[in-house]
Amino acid sequence: MSTDYRATGPAGPAAEHSSGSDTTPSGDQLAAMSHAELDLLGARLDDTQVVVLSDPPPPGSIAEKRAERQVALCFGLATLFSFAFVVVFWGSGWFLPDWEYEVAGSVFGALFTPLLGLTMGAALAFLGVGIVLWAKKLMPHEVATQGRHGGASDPVDAQTAGGTIMAGFERTGLARHNIVRRSLLGAAGALGLLALMPLGGLIKNPGRGDELMKTSWADGIRLVRDDGTPIRPADMLPGSLETVFPAVGGGNRQADAATMLIRLRREQVDELRLEPGREAFVYQDFIAYSKICTHAGCPVSLYEQETGRILCPCHQSQFIVTQGARPVFGPAARPLPQLPIDLDDEGFFVARSDYPEAVGPSFWNRET
Amino acid sequence: MSRALALLATLVVTGGLYAAMAPGSVAQDSTDSTAVEAGRELYEQSCISCHGANLEGVSDRGPSLIGVGEASVFFQVSTGRMPLARQEAQANRGPVVFTDDEIDQLMAYIQANGGGPTLPSGDLRDGDLSAGGELFRLNCASCHNFAGRGGALSSGKNAPNLSEASDLQMYAAMLTGPSNMPVFGDNQLTPEEKRAIINYVQTLDESTDPGGLSIGRAGPVPEGVVIWLLGMGVLLIGVFWIGSKA
Repeated sequence: MSTDYRATGPAGPAAEHSSGSDTTPSGDQLAAMSHAELDLLGARLDDTQVVVLSDPPPPGSIAEKRAERQVALCFGLATLFSFAFVVVFWGSGWFLPDWEYEVAGSVFGALFTPLLGLTMGAALAFLGVGIVLWAKKLMPHEVATQGRHGGASDPVDAQTAGGTIMAGFERTGLARHNIVRRSLLGAAGALGLLALMPLGGLIKNPGRGDELMKTSWADGIRLVRDDGTPIRPADMLPGSLETVFPAVGGGNRQADAATMLIRLRREQVDELRLEPGREAFVYQDFIAYSKICTHAGCPVSLYEQETGRILCPCHQSQFIVTQGARPVFGPAARPLPQLPIDLDDEGFFVARSDYPEAVGPSFWNRET
Repeated sequence: MSRALALLATLVVTGGLYAAMAPGSVAQDSTDSTAVEAGRELYEQSCISCHGANLEGVSDRGPSLIGVGEASVFFQVSTGRMPLARQEAQANRGPVVFTDDEIDQLMAYIQANGGGPTLPSGDLRDGDLSAGGELFRLNCASCHNFAGRGGALSSGKNAPNLSEASDLQMYAAMLTGPSNMPVFGDNQLTPEEKRAIINYVQTLDESTDPGGLSIGRAGPVPEGVVIWLLGMGVLLIGVFWIGSKA
């Protein structure tokens, strides 16, 4: 590394030339200067010093030739990969196999997109590597420092600039034309009010209409599958689960109404322990719980039929089916709401009422 | 007396008709009884300590096998889950201990003594692919992941990756609900729907990954990890190389 000061700061011998317009060269002198000299002159006039940390290898040296070859190799590879991209892209279906998405696809089909990505990526990467090598090996390494200019403006400039602004304001006559000023303020205020209106549309009272407290379930509403078919007890074997929705229009798209209908195994029926008053919510060995987690509202559908646990995939809350879906693990604090079920005259499952409490996560004015 | 005779005659006719029409036809009867006998021997060597001398199960060791049927036996034994090497959170897929013939014998023994769901025959992928996808996402994806790659359950249990399962194993699993998997009886998912699901899962497994490396097809988590570790690593190396002095 050489430390050759090509330009010196104010402390150096050139300091006396760095300030004052008398040192500005004449037109003839400028015309005679090389680009490098003009560059240094500009820097000096701007109070900038350039410190050269190291020089590139001397022209014609072995080191320079090697660096040139390295840079050229990178640019050459970038060219090659760009052409390879074009070949893969246009060659597919011409002289290369046709690319098409198939289930048991060809090797080329599987490689087509990755090949495009690899060739394009390699082209860009080699271009970048070539540029960095070029900068590192074939250019001088310099550090430029520039002196900081003084702070305040010239007092005359400051006063006149302030005067321009104030004179402009006075020429508008706002200070004098009271009626114009007040009506303008009124208009601006009204416009601000107008701008606030759309925000008001975003604020609703969620308590109104009991939207969060109720679902579409009600007495006599059938439990239907996603495709709308009703369910008989014989459709499900012990240890099975079916996701059901209320048989109302668009019921299978109502996020709060999704319910798990579970048929317990015999030994689970024996250990069934429900809260007092909820014993009649079940129909024989069938039991129904809300599918919406009471913690953050995720669908809890990972049913472990052997352990009788329902697992929520979002935060691993676990609920015990045989104990009123009481939470036994994880962040959920309340049991899953239980839907009272029965059979109708035709032998299909129906709800006997809505959920006794609000489904899903907690909210501010929740009553239960 | 005549009423009793009539009853007897009806029973004989019904029984005869059933025997003639029931799956596992009469022609196999002679080989069946030897298979059941061979199955009993295998059972008494490998299964009896946990499932009991009369398939009644042993408490804290193994469940009763009455009513599980040959489908359950096929699933558990052909995937190497049974015989269980040791008690753990759940039986996982492992090396298969019995030969195909021995599995058939065990199936015959359990079916003859406990009864239960039987295995289907024919092409198990003969189903509507898109309907299968819909049913898979509705019934299976919550535990087995949307690409059938499995996932974690509670207390060390897991829903297995479906890529190793054969058509018949998947069908038997849906039919019997092994371990913690819910049961999907034929009235809940018809045989046609089961075949559609199998077709979907196997098609998904056989399809190529046109986007390049699938990284386990487990979704955005491994993709994010790869971007973080590999992508950021390469970028950092590049930054250091550019910034280092020649």
